Order: sequence, then C-alpha cells, then structure tokens
Amino acid sequence: MERLVFDAAAALTILFAGLMVMHPHPVKSVLALVVSFFGLAVCYVMLSAPFIAAIQVIVYAGAILVLFLFVLMLLNVGEETRGRERPIQRWLSAAALLVFAGLLLGLLRAHGASAPLSFGPLSGDVAPLARLLFSRYLLPFEALSVLLLAALVGAFVLAQREKGA
Amino acid sequence: MIGSIPLGDVLLASGALFTIGLAGALLRRSAISIFLSTEVMMNAANLALIGYGSAMGSREGQIIVFFIIAIAAAEASVGLAIFVALFRHKETIDVNKINLLKW
Amino acid sequence: MSAVDWLILALRVLIPLGVILTVVPMLGWAERRGAGLIQDRPGPNRVGPYGLLQLPVDAVKFFFKEDVIPANSDKVLYVLAPGIAVFAALTTFAVIPYGASLPAAGRDIPLIGADLSIGVLYVFALTSLSVYGIVLAGWASNNKFSLMGGLRSSAQIISYELAMTTAAAGVILSSSSLRLPDIIWAQERLWLGFLPRWNVVPQFLGFVVFFVSAFAETNRVPFDLPEADAELVGGYHTEYSAMKFAMFMMAEYVNIVVACALTVTLYFGGWSLPGFHPEGIVGAIVSILIFSAKTLFFVLVFIWVRWTLPRFRYDQLMRIGWKALLPLALVNLLWVAALILVRWI
Repeated sequence: MERLVFDAAAALTILFAGLMVMHPHPVKSVLALVVSFFGLAVCYVMLSAPFIAAIQVIVYAGAILVLFLFVLMLLNVGEETRGRERPIQRWLSAAALLVFAGLLLGLLRAHGASAPLSFGPLSGDVAPLARLLFSRYLLPFEALSVLLLAALVGAFVLAQREKGA
Repeated sequence: MIGSIPLGDVLLASGALFTIGLAGALLRRSAISIFLSTEVMMNAANLALIGYGSAMGSREGQIIVFFIIAIAAAEASVGLAIFVALFRHKETIDVNKINLLKW
Repeated sequence: MSAVDWLILALRVLIPLGVILTVVPMLGWAERRGAGLIQDRPGPNRVGPYGLLQLPVDAVKFFFKEDVIPANSDKVLYVLAPGIAVFAALTTFAVIPYGASLPAAGRDIPLIGADLSIGVLYVFALTSLSVYGIVLAGWASNNKFSLMGGLRSSAQIISYELAMTTAAAGVILSSSSLRLPDIIWAQERLWLGFLPRWNVVPQFLGFVVFFVSAFAETNRVPFDLPEADAELVGGYHTEYSAMKFAMFMMAEYVNIVVACALTVTLYFGGWSLPGFHPEGIVGAIVSILIFSAKTLFFVLVFIWVRWTLPRFRYDQLMRIGWKALLPLALVNLLWVAALILVRWI
C-alpha cells in the first residue's frame, strides 16, 4: 500500500518535471515544478522523512519557487521563442541524454535493487534528527548560517541598480 | 511510516528525474529554465539520498538533504540576482545571445 | 483499520470542517454588525432579526451573479487561484487539536484531524502554499493593478511568515516538540499554584509578534494595503466576481479562524484550562467549548482592530515586518533559551 502511494507520487513528480521541461512559458513551467516538488514531498513522507518533506514544501516549493515567480513576473519574461540555432546542437544533446539514460539504467540493473533493508524502519520523530544535527553536524550547521548570510548580502548587492558610484 | 519502499523504485525515480533535469538543462534556451532544470537535478539527488538513508536505517541522509535544501535556497537567490542584473543589461534571457566572451 | 475506525476518522475531520464552514458566514455578520457598533451606526438590520439573514442572502446573491472571466486572462490559473486559497486555508485546520480525548465506541478518540509528528511545520508549509493562490490570482487576471496587488500581498505574507515562524520557534523550544497536542500538554500545569502555564506569560513578546504577524498573514487591517479599495482597486481580487470572489472572502475568514485557533493553541493552552482535567464525554465537550470560546475571543479582537486602526503604507508595512518584528522574535527566542537554561520553564 505504501509502495503504491510512493509510486503514484513519484510518477506525478516525474510527469510534472517533464511538463516543466517542455512548456515554453516560464511561469507555467515554474507552476508545473511546484506540483512536482509537492509530489516529491509525498515521496519523502513515504520514505520516513516527514521533517524533510515539510522543509521541502516550506523552502523549495514555498520560498525558492515563489522567488522565481516574482522575478519572472516583475521582469515580464515572455515565452521562449524558436531561435535560429544549429540543429547539430539539439541532436548532440539528445544523443548525450540517451547515452546517459542508458548508463543509468544499466547501473541500476546491475547494482541498485540489491541493497538490502538491513535495519528496521525509521520513526517519523524529529528529535533524533535534531540530536544528530546539533552534535555531529554542528560545524556544517554553523557554516551554513554564514553561507546564508553571504548569499543574502550577495543577492542584495547584485540586484541593486547601478547608481554610477 | 513503514520503510517498505524497495530501494530500486526510489533509484529509478531519482534517475528518471535526473535525466529529465539534464534534458531541460541541455535543450532549453532561456537562462531561467536552465536554472530550474538544475534545481530538478538537485532534487533527484535529494530523493536518492533519502532513499538510501531510509534503506540503511540512518538519519544521515535526511541531514545531508537538509543542508542541500538550504544551500539550494542560497544559490537560487544569488542566481536570480545575477539573472536580474543580466536581464537589465541585455533585455534578453536567451543564452545563445549572451555571448560577450565569445572570440 | 476497521470500518468503525474509518468512520471515526472521517467524522473527526469533517465535523470541524463543517463547523468552520458554518461559522464563516456568522463571522461575516459579526464583522458587519461589529463595524456598525464601533462606527456608531446600525449595521445590517433589514434582513431578518438583527440582520442575521444578511450573510445567507449574500451567499444566494453570489450564486446568481454573473461570473465574468476576463478575455485575455489565463483561464485555467484564473479559476484555480481561489481554489488554492480556500484549500490552503481549510487544510491548515487539520492539525489543530480542538478538544481533549473523547472516549467513545470503545476507544479514545483524539479530537484532532491528523496528529502529525511535525504539527507546527505543517501549518507553516500550508501558509507558504497560500501565497500561490494570491500570486496566481494577481498574474492570471491580466491586469496591472491585480499583478501589483498580488505581488505586494505575497511579499507581505512571506516577510511576516518569518517573524511568525521565529515566534513559534520560541514555543517549540519551550515545549520540546513540534506536535500540537504536546504543546498543549506542556501548558496544562500551574505555576505557584494558581497561574496557568500558558506560553503567553513567559513569552509575551513572542505572543505579540505572532499575533501581529497573524494580522499580516491574513491580509487584515492594519496590513491590508494590497487589497485596499482606494489604493489598488481591489488588489489581487479586482477581476474576480460572484462565486470566485466569495471564495476569496471565505478563504480570508477561514484564515482568520485558523490564525486565532493557532494563537490559542500555541500561547493560551488550547482546549485546556488550569486545574481542569477533562473526564469522559462531558469533559471532552467542555474542552471543545473552552477552545471555541478562546478562539472566538481572538476573532472578535481581529474584527475590533479592523474597524479601529488605520492601515499602514506598504513601505511602512515591510519595514515593520523585517526591522521590528523579526528582531523582536529573535530576542524572544533568546529569552526563552535563557529561561530554559536557568530552568524556569
């Protein structure tokens, strides 16, 4: 039963990611991606990671993609136009993709499904996660806050209009 | 939550998602669509990490994904700021036209 | 799960849903009569005794009004947007505990839609999703004023979401849990024998930040510039008529009820009263009534504030959110951490 839900959510995710890639209008493709990320959050819940699912919705679907939408709407970015580009570029990309997909499938068939479920199922509690975060991963956590501060300042500076100074 | 999802399913989904993201990054011409496809690739990696974490009974996968999501947020904001600055100058987002460094 | 289990699950989700949907029109009535009271005028008093039938009559009017969809709008998104707004508003109530355990049908029924281990985070996730309803409404209307109103409104919601989440983080810290029933349980005891351990007492600053942010989250005065009539026509719902407009209004009122219910749960002990231990069915019903009374009080405060205070200008609004409320919420967090360190909480 859980497997069914996971498969359905994963299918939804992949379908809408595909829609996102194919749709020419950037706003619609961002919205397709929102649905895709929502499906991904459901997948995370099925994999015993409800906290990460909530973070995915709050941060990815609810903040990052809203930021994308803001930029798109404020800059009034229109549909992507058909351009004069050399078709060899497209053919090479398609070929590279096929090779990559083939490699991935081959790897999966050879090794992927054989990893055993060696431990019991994880509970959905948040406390063990917090314990791990603030003990073994404390340094990356603090470094992350510095990174976020740097990104904040950087984004602010980059998006300013030039004042000639 | 029961960890009864076979790992093969998770990896297949993650691989398919990554391939789709890669397709978007290779085939699209608008800078923001390429950026979005990169985000899809990152999420595919997240799915694989959580799948493995769940299969091995460890929470480390979730911790790493937590960091990845935060870093993605930082990267998206800086990337969009760059995009906004670029758009102001060039009035276009077609990456084929942004070729000032071309010889 | 047996059939009885499924039935109980359905009832415990659908009954509060039904209650909220019936309370919303009554809130509309209370708003308009309350406005009249504060502004020294009668308010609606033509339709039914004391104007009580005004809102049902309005609902009928909405059903019969012509449903206009602008020509160049994006039809799918235009129709979807109010649906997203209402959906996000209603589903938030699923994690709020509205009463003590009800012993019936041979088991203890928790009076909560879904007892998630990530309770409070779920609420904030849905608040993030409600932004999409507004942004899509603004953009799909193909109208400059709608777009500006939609963008302003969503920027406002995102900014105040931060202050609200940080204030709630203080509560989470003192209760050591994200689950809302745990948060209520942590407030059930007494200090010094008579003071309730409600979180509002040690975290008064956090409560103020949370409550003010709730006004901004629900687009209510004094933070309702994005939809103010004199400024932006109607903001993001300019181009909406009839039932879709009614859905936006309904979403706003449901958001108010949910914000008040959340405030009551996080800061005022939810359904519990100090010294009151609910026993059996009677206890559960009394706890539901206590919860309803507390929530109703805060909803009336919302209405009271609307007709008392002038609205903030948009730059003032953003400045308050980022430069005043967020630092205050952080100070509150430090304060709670200090209290925990000296074991006063």
